[in-house]
Formats: sequence, C-alpha cells, structure tokens
Amino acid sequence: MIEVKDLTKTYGTIAAIDKINFTVPKGSILGLLGPNGAGKTTTMRILTTSLAPTSGKATVAGFDVVTSPQEVRKRIGYLPEVPPIYSEMTIISYLKFVADIKEVPLDKKANRIGEVLEMLDLEKMSRRLIGHLSLGYRQRVGLAQALLHDPEVLILDEPTRGLDPKQILEIRKLIKALSGQRTIILSTHILPEVSSTCDDVIIIDQGKVVAADSVENLSQRLAGGKTLDLEIKGPASEVSKALENVTGVAAVKSLGRESKGVSRFELTTDGTSEVREALFHCVVKNKWVLYQLSPVGVSLEDVFLKLTTKDTTA
Amino acid sequence: MNSRKLFAIVRRELGAYLSSPLGYIVMFVYFLIGGFFFWLITTRSHAASMTYIFQNFMFIFLLVSPLITMRLWSEEEKNGTAELLKTSPLTIWEIVVGKYLGACSFFLVMSSVTLVYLAFIFALGNPDVMPLFANYLGYFLGVMAFFSIGLFASTITENQIVSAIVSFFVLLLLWVIGVAGDGVSGPAGDFLKYVSIMSHTDDFFKGIIDFSHVFYLLSLIFLGLFLSVKVLESKRS
Repeated sequence: MIEVKDLTKTYGTIAAIDKINFTVPKGSILGLLGPNGAGKTTTMRILTTSLAPTSGKATVAGFDVVTSPQEVRKRIGYLPEVPPIYSEMTIISYLKFVADIKEVPLDKKANRIGEVLEMLDLEKMSRRLIGHLSLGYRQRVGLAQALLHDPEVLILDEPTRGLDPKQILEIRKLIKALSGQRTIILSTHILPEVSSTCDDVIIIDQGKVVAADSVENLSQRLAGGKTLDLEIKGPASEVSKALENVTGVAAVKSLGRESKGVSRFELTTDGTSEVREALFHCVVKNKWVLYQLSPVGVSLEDVFLKLTTKDTTA
Repeated sequence: MNSRKLFAIVRRELGAYLSSPLGYIVMFVYFLIGGFFFWLITTRSHAASMTYIFQNFMFIFLLVSPLITMRLWSEEEKNGTAELLKTSPLTIWEIVVGKYLGACSFFLVMSSVTLVYLAFIFALGNPDVMPLFANYLGYFLGVMAFFSIGLFASTITENQIVSAIVSFFVLLLLWVIGVAGDGVSGPAGDFLKYVSIMSHTDDFFKGIIDFSHVFYLLSLIFLGLFLSVKVLESKRS
C-alpha cells in the first residue's frame, strides 16, 4: 500500500532523511519511532505530498507522490504535528469546509460529518468555536479532519499528543479499530504506544532506518536469551544451586530476600529450550513454594535507547 | 478549477474576516474616514459625482489593504493550516484564487457603504450614470490590484507584520513612481508614469473607461496571482 524506496531529502548539505526504505502492507499499522529531529515528520510530509523529496521514490496507494500528487491526496488522511484547525470556526463549520475541499460527495456530506463527530465523541461540542477548545479536543478535531473523507491511508504525526491518559487509550482503540480496512502510519516517541497499537515498527535515527521489524521480533532479537523473574520460598543458597542444575538455565542471580523466607532470583536461559516447566518441577520436588515465575521481556525502551544512543566510551 | 472547492475557500476566507477584530477595525476606520471625506468633498464641491471621493479612497486603501491581505497566506503558514490545504486535493491555483477572491469579497462587503453615498447623490443631485460606472470600475480594479500585490507579499513570509510592510512599500513605490515620472522628461518619465498604478486609475475617476488601463490593471492582478502560485509551488521543494 505504501512503498518507500531510497527516499532522501537534503537541506543544503544536511540530509534530513537519507535513503530510507520501507513498505507498509494494506491493513497494517506501522509505527515510526525516533528521537526528535530524526526525520519522522519529514518522511510523513513527503508521503503526504506537502514536501518534495530530493531523490528516491515513494508511492502511496499505487500513486507516486511526485508525479501524481492529486491522486495521492484524494486517498490519504493526514494529521500533521500541529492540528490544522481554524480557531475562528466552529467544529461543524470547519468539518463542512474540509468536506468540500476533500471532495466528500455532497449527498453524503452531512452523514459523514455526523459519523466522524460520533467516532471522536465531539457531538456535544460541534457548535463550539475551535479556538475555545482544550488541547485534547483540538487534537480530536484534527483527527476528525483526517478521517472525514474515509481515506484508504492514514498518516498520523503523534496522534495522541496533548491528550490525557483516558483519551490516549480511546484514541489508540480507535486507531486499532480503523486499521481493518486502512493502512496507517503513525509517528510517536511514546514507546508503549508502538507496542500497543502497531504491527510493525521502524526506528529512525539521524535520517537513517536503524531497525525495522515487527514489534515482538524487535524486542526479542535484541534480548538474546530470555530472562525470567522468580520468587521462591525456601533456603536461598540451596534453591540457587538447584536452579543452576536445571537444563537450559545459563545463569542464576540472587536478588536477595523479598519477605520472610521468600527469595528473588533472576534467571537467564540459553534461549534454546523452554525451561519454565522444568523449573516448576524442580521447585515441587524440593517441596519449596513457587511465588512468582514471569518472563522479563526487553522493553522497546531498551531497544530504542540501544539503537539511538551513541556509545561515547568507544 | 473546481467551483465547489473554490467557493469553499472563498467562503472560509470571508468568514475569517467577518469573525476577526481586525476585519471590523478596518471596516470601522474605512466607514469613518470614508464618510468624513464624502461629507467634506460633496459639501465643498457640490458635484454629484464620486470622482474625488474614490481618488481619496484609493489613498485610504494604500494604507489599509496591506492590513487586509497580510494574513492571507502568512496566517496559514503560522497556524499549520497550510499543511491541510497543501495535502488536500486542491491545485495551487485553486488555493491562491480562492484566497484572493475571499479578500475581494470582504472588500465588496466594505464597499457596500458607498451605496449610501450613491443614494445621497441620486437624492440630492442629478448624476450621469456612465461616469459613475467608470468611477466604480476604476475603484474596484485599483483596489483589486492592491490586493493581488498584498497576497503575493503574504506568500513570501509567515510573519504578518513583515508581509504588511512589504506590500505597503511596494504599493507606496508604485504610487510615488508616478510622481517621480512627472518630474522626469522623455521616455524615462513616460515609463515611470506607465508603471504607476495611479496613472491608470485617474482616467476612470474622470469618468473615462480606457481599455489600455483595464488591461494594465488586469495584468497587474494576474502578475500578483501568478507570482503567489510560483512562490507556493517552490515551497514544496
């Protein structure tokens, strides 16, 4: 649905993005992740035809962004970094204006506006001036604008910016729900957002793609073997020794006593086999009590920092 | 050009003028000074014509039109709404012409007050209709040329103040260049006078419709729109 090939944008000698490649299949959600100034917005502006690339090629819904921008524009909904709203208009008059310039068929105009207002829970506010709305409402009006003409492709630049935690959850749910028929690219620097909404993730740093994979693969690949968190009631040193002898366990680190008689351990596996069953049997055999056994995934935060932070000691 | 999209932009633009304090301040000043001029001129000259009135109005608009046009594109750029227009299925000509016509329709709303002056003239005098028509044509074309230059000045910056200053100085230059032309003899003087907007509006105010003047003013309007389109096109790259 979206194909980006060797996309480059330079300002003078500085490359905002440098030979970026990725594809987004129809119906999936791609998260664009990167520190500020990495080139996320530049990439999105090129995909939405607001900026021309220096070199490379990008197609959206089968149309080239440079040679047939009008066809691309008809098929995309775009929420820029700053919601493109007119403060002197009411929500309803603003959406009417957007419907006109985005070619929403006249006979469907009123219906479609009603649907979008409902989807974003803006019905009660529809006659209010946009200038009088809170940041969260403005962001939602911006989203309403992007959804109004029912586009195949949605490009959202930090869609949950300025929203409170409850609204963030709602918007994420909405984005998830929209993804069925639509292809979505969203940028964010809130990492849980990527893991909770996106199928795939691309990490951009200094204009280059440093990682591109599905969300799970990315965290696993960088973690090496798996890490488990254990809490066991029993004599600490004996437990530790017994755990080390379980096949598949690479190392055991005692994390000290949790409460009376209960000790915590961090276990690293060699990553070749499932050890949780063997661990359970080991505990039962020795008549200890298992309080907790949980895998510690490497979070996207760790991956992100690992990939985008330069090692200054090297 | 798609009329639905164009009309949507024109309507939004007019709405923006009619819901901003600036729009009303400009209208208030125009009504006040315009009314004063009308009273002053007609009670002194006893002429049933708009000649001197429109000549003076042109001067008012030299000062006021930069304030009207400064926001046209600068504001979009500043508020981030330019992104919406640029990524909607609109051509740059639709955007530019829509905005221009929006400003012109605000001018039309402002100028409706001159109907009151007309009513006085017809009630108290016996004016010729054709010269009045020429007066209006010159007034409209002249101010529309001002607006076209102002729109261009607005496309080059996201700072409204800078935009207003640039368009004011361009308009002032086009004004004084005619005065300078009077002082210079020969072809150089003729050229300077030809470039000046005022030398092309004066005949209209005398009641004469000369098509070379119509051509000059329409060309100037087109030039302003064309340059605005080119500036916006260049911003994509």
